[in-house]
Amino acid sequence: MEQALQRFEGQVQLVYYPFVLNPTSDVATQAALCAGEQGKFWEFHHMLYARQATWRLLSDPLPRLMEFANDLQLDTTALTRCVKSGRMRQLLEADKAYGRSLQVQSTPTLFINSQRVVGAQSEADLVRTIRRELARAQQQTQ
Amino acid sequence: MAKKSKARRRVAASQNRQSSATPQRWRQKMLIGMTLLVLAIALGVGIRYWQQSRIPPRLQGAIENHYTRGVAGAPVVVKEFSDYT
Repeated sequence: MEQALQRFEGQVQLVYYPFVLNPTSDVATQAALCAGEQGKFWEFHHMLYARQATWRLLSDPLPRLMEFANDLQLDTTALTRCVKSGRMRQLLEADKAYGRSLQVQSTPTLFINSQRVVGAQSEADLVRTIRRELARAQQQTQ
Repeated sequence: MAKKSKARRRVAASQNRQSSATPQRWRQKMLIGMTLLVLAIALGVGIRYWQQSRIPPRLQGAIENHYTRGVAGAPVVVKEFSDYT
């Protein structure tokens, strides 16, 4: 998605909806949203994917996630407090409900305008779908 | 002798009736089964179509209070539902 976004700069907007599937991911997602409060959501988001192998099988990933936060120079005390307060959970539940209303059953699921794309896609496939949607949008404006 | 053959004929006729009635009953059951199957499939497809038709309106909006990248109001909006694990 990253490369596709760069390729269509100015023509595509990506909106991220967490669709949490297990308790470990729940903690990680809350941590990402809490990192967002400190202005580093995307940095934390990318780090979670890049270092996935080091935390995704842990029953309590929070200490490891705090190491990531430290690497990003986040206030880990505030971040821990934020995650433990559970105040991001409501957002996660709302997004999950929204996903369910769109019949999202697995991740990743993308909606490129109204085209549903389920499962990991190659960059070429994503580019093709985005091009098609751009052409359709152009036709509608003409 | 005549009595015996009459009785045999009756038995044979009843057997004939039975044997022709059995496939007919099966055919009837098959027809009912197939009709129910077709109705169930049609109902499933109908429900799926109805659910799908409700998706595009739900895709409008719901962007506020979410992390986004790229420009707002872009012609293509990609909504990504994902899980970190």
